[in-house]
Parts: sequence; structure tokens; C-alpha cells
Amino acid sequence: MAQVEIRNLGKVYPGKVRAVSGASADIADGEFIVLVGPSGCGKSTILRMIAGLEEVSEGDLFIGGDRVNDLEPGERDIAMVFQNYALYPHMTVRRNMEYGLRNEGLPKDQIAARIAEAARTLRLEEYLDRKPRQLSGGQRQRVAMGRAIVREPKAFLFDEPLSNLDAKLRTQLRAELRALHVRLGATFIYVTHDQVEAMSLADRIIVMNAGQIEQIGAPLELYQKPATRFVAEFIGTPAMNFVEARPVTAGLKIDLPEGASLPGPCAMVDQLAAPAHIGFRPEDLVLEPQDGAAGLRLDLQVMFAEQLGADTVIHARLAGQSDPVTIRVESAQNPAPGATMTAYAPNAALHVFDAATGQRL
Amino acid sequence: MQKRVVFRNTWLPYILVAPQILVTLVFFFWPSWQALESSFYIEDAFGFSREWVGLRNYTELFADPGYLKSFRTTLIFGLCVTFLAMSISLALAVAANRVLRAATVYRTFLIWPYAVAPALAGVIWYFLMNPSLGIVSYWLRALGYDWNHYVNGEQALGMVIVAAAWKQISYNFLFFLAGLQSIPKSLVEAAAIDRAGPGRRFWTIVFPLLSPTTFFLLVVNLVYAFFDTFSLIHATTEGGPADATSILVFRVYNTGFIGQDYGSSAAQSVVLMALVVAMTFVQFRYIDRRVNY
Repeated sequence: MAQVEIRNLGKVYPGKVRAVSGASADIADGEFIVLVGPSGCGKSTILRMIAGLEEVSEGDLFIGGDRVNDLEPGERDIAMVFQNYALYPHMTVRRNMEYGLRNEGLPKDQIAARIAEAARTLRLEEYLDRKPRQLSGGQRQRVAMGRAIVREPKAFLFDEPLSNLDAKLRTQLRAELRALHVRLGATFIYVTHDQVEAMSLADRIIVMNAGQIEQIGAPLELYQKPATRFVAEFIGTPAMNFVEARPVTAGLKIDLPEGASLPGPCAMVDQLAAPAHIGFRPEDLVLEPQDGAAGLRLDLQVMFAEQLGADTVIHARLAGQSDPVTIRVESAQNPAPGATMTAYAPNAALHVFDAATGQRL
Repeated sequence: MQKRVVFRNTWLPYILVAPQILVTLVFFFWPSWQALESSFYIEDAFGFSREWVGLRNYTELFADPGYLKSFRTTLIFGLCVTFLAMSISLALAVAANRVLRAATVYRTFLIWPYAVAPALAGVIWYFLMNPSLGIVSYWLRALGYDWNHYVNGEQALGMVIVAAAWKQISYNFLFFLAGLQSIPKSLVEAAAIDRAGPGRRFWTIVFPLLSPTTFFLLVVNLVYAFFDTFSLIHATTEGGPADATSILVFRVYNTGFIGQDYGSSAAQSVVLMALVVAMTFVQFRYIDRRVNY
């Protein structure tokens, strides 16, 4: 158990390809932290640097207060679960789990005790003498977790461990992972590209984009108060809608795309000095004007509606822009394509981002 | 699942495989049959007459201390060539697998010796090691080692072993490299996180996972050393000195074409045939089972 700290971490591959720059974060002891971002954003690189599988090009890395930049992976006292499981195919499940402990030189009875305990936790008892190829995907992933658990490491690292599994199994293992974290109380560092996985697992999320950390925060914090346009768009499904706002003369008149208008006062938008993106979530849109919270009025033409059961997602077109607007409404609604409709985004639901920097205003 | 083709005409499939069968019959079965047949006869040198002698060629063969010595020589030669060629090529493949820059150039260079004809490879080593004008023997003499493979049988055997192994390294290297590259990198990384040092990672993870390749190469190398090294020995030591490098396959030639004893030569061929059949059987029988995972 230990806290993990990264300070100004950077990675430059041979040929001056930069994967990560200036990444800093404090990960508390026992925290479940998720690194999330699109592919190629550098999240796996950070994880691999923490594991010691990639050399740290810049910055410092601390595990449990010790600087570990130059330690071998085996000396860092961490365990890792790989996307492709990385089980040793020529060894039985038991051997797989024993491997690290034997290398440590742990006494045999202790090894046996730890394996028995882990096998019970992960319901692997009957598979201990099988080879990995005789197991299903979900079982293999549990063996990989077992191999990590028996090591009793300072921190657990997970590199997209669920992405090779089907959707149903993924949901099931997600719950098991969460329960495992509660039971072990250990530090978990988890990489995924799936924002739903990140939201459901994490104590805190680190959102990454193009080699840099965009925002660190609790799932709800990211959802309610995204620090950048990227985070706003990345977190939440369906994704946030945006309209462009351009001040014609500073503070006097705001130019919005055709079909969008501000019927009443809205402090955030009215005072804009530079072009901005106004964001609003599909689930925050309402079809009736709200008293005292005028917000943004949108005159839309319905393109099509997706009926998902619990609710319906309407895709509609705003006359003045090419990006469609999505609206999440209750399932009784089923507007016909081509119909016109009006939707309102209350003032409190608007997120305003600087168009040039992407920062929240 | 294998897709099975069903022919409507029963004779068509036979016609399609006929050329292959014909070639096999004419160039493999017929000579083999001839060898088997003549191993039961004693024939005069010019082929005018022959006499049925039953198993006498064989009993004489196994009573001949020269032949038994040749068996031993072949065994030593085969094992040494196999071990040398495989261990060096494995080391080279492990090294090449770590090379990131100019990897293709490096690999291409390592593959070159395979393109050299065995006889030529023998001659190269013959010149290198030649007691009067070879550069290696010159170095050895400078080191105080008296090298003369014309006289010293052990040195001669050592020389043909090195030459034969050198020739086979490229081939083994290719297979080992392919084998190494098919081992997922994450396995080695997982082992590194599991506190295994580089040596332990190699012997407990990489080497066991290479076992199908290793076993295949073991058989191929033994077959090569036993049967394909004739031209190399013929071009360098001619089996000498004093039969020190006279391996079984060279002895077949020597008995038949130099000694004109066709019966004994045929009997020796049959023994070799039995040997190669046994090795092929072992290969087919166990190659799938020896796969560890």
C-alpha cells in the first residue's frame, strides 16, 4: 500500500516522438484512479513508466515516497494486469500465480496460503491445475488479477484489462474489480479508453489528451464542471452539444448560429469578449421554456430519434451549423423526422469555453 | 475447420496426384528398392555377376570395428554440430531480437552463410585452417597451439564440426528469430514485474515457449549433420586422417565408389535409411506433443 506521485513526467521516444509531457498527479494511498483518454493520448505510456517498462525521459516518479525512476520493474513492488492477460501459457494457473512469489523466495507454505486465499477470492479454486488455454476470457483475466493479488504489492496497475471481453462480461468484471478494491484497500491505477468504465470505477479520474493531462477530478466533478472543452466532450454519453458564440462588439451583441437565440439575460454569455463555445448536455435540454432561467433557445428540425427504452435520444439539426444537436428526453417522445421543435438549455446548464484555448470561462 | 473438396469423378483426384506419385516412385522408391535389393548380394566390381548372400553384408558390417567407429564418429559429429549450431544461432537470434535500429540489415548478414554451397563452405574453412597457408592455423600457431588437421584426427574432426555448424547457423537463426518474435512482449514484461531477472526470464519464460522451434531444429540439425554434410567432408578431409572424419554417409560413398563394394555400400545405405525413418517418425510423433502450451 502506498501513494504514487508523478511530477512533471515526460516521455520522448527515439526519433523525438513525444508521447507525454509535463504530467503531474498525486495518487493517494488506497485510491482507485483511472487514466482515461482517446487512443494515443499517452495514458498507457504513463502507466508503463510507473511500472518501469518504459524509461522515464523527464520528471520524477515516486512510489511510497521513494524515487523509483531508475529501479527495475521487479524492484518497484508493483503488480500489473495486462490487456491480453499475459499469462505464461506453459504454466498452470497455480504456477502462474506462484511465479512472482518464487522469484521473491517466499517460503513454500506462505506461497500456498496466499494462492489458496486468492483463488477463493476470485473463485478460481477448481481451475488451479489447468493451463491458461483451457480457460475462458473472463477466467483468464481473473487469473491475471490473482497473479497480481498474491504479490501483495504497493500498487496495482491495470492496462485496459477488460477491453478484450464482451460487453456483458465487462460489466460483471467491472463490479468484481470495484469489490476487490474495497476489500484490498490498495492503490489501483487503471488505464482505459472507455469513459463509462472510468466513471463507474474511479475515485478520481485523470483525463488525458495529446500527451497532456486535461483535468484530474472525481467523476461527478468532471461531469458537472469540465475544465476544458475536451473533457466536456469526452465525458458523458451522448456527448455534449456545442454552439459557437461570437461577440460582435464586445459585451454588446453576441452572434449565435441561425436557430439559436438568447431570449433573456445570461451573464456568462452576455459578457463574452472573445469567441467561445457554449456547451450543453443532451440530458439538460428541456422542451418547455423555464421560468426565470431563460438560457439558450434552439429552433430545431428533427433528423431521427433513437428509442433506447429508458429514454429517447433525438438527433436534430440547427439551421446555422453543421454539427447536429442531440436531446435526451423521456421514452414516450417519438418525433417524426422533418418535424420542427424547440428546445431550451437553462442558464445553469450552460458550459462556456474559450474558442481559442478550450479552457472553461 | 478444413474444407473438404468432393470430386464427382473418382479418377480425377488420382490423375491430379499422379505426377507427384510418379516422381516419388521413380526417384525415391525405385533407388531405395535397388539399394535394399543389392544389400543382399555381393556384386563384382564391374557388375557382370552377383551372388545372393542373405544378411551377410549386414553381419559383416556390424562385425567391422571400422564401421562401428564410424558410427561413433557420426554420433559425436552430429551431436557437436547440432549443439554448436543451435546454441550459437540462439544466442545470435536473442541478440538480433533486441536490435531496434537497422535490424533488417543485421538479419540479412546473418542469413548469408546459408546461401553458400556446402562444398564451398568446406573449402573456405579448409583454406582458413590449412596448416601451411591458413590464417586461423597461423594464429593458432602464434598462440602456441600446433595445428595440423592432416595429421591430427581430433583436429580434423573439430574442423569439419565447426564448418558444418557454421553452415547451419543461418538456418537455425531464422527459425529462432521467428520463434522469439512470436512470443508476446507482454509475457516478458509480466515476468520482469514478477521479479525475474533477465537470465531467469529467458530460461523460465522464453526458452520453454521456444520449445516447439527448438525441437523442430533439433531434428532438422541432426538430419543435416548425419546426411547433408557429405560434400563438405568430401571437399575437405575426405574422411581422413585415418578415418577420423569418416561419418556414415561418407563411408557409404567410400565403400561403394572407391572400394567398389556395392553390397556393403547398399547395406550401409539401408542402415542410414532406417535411421532417417526413425528420426522422421520421432519428429512427427512428438513434435505436437512436445509443444508445451
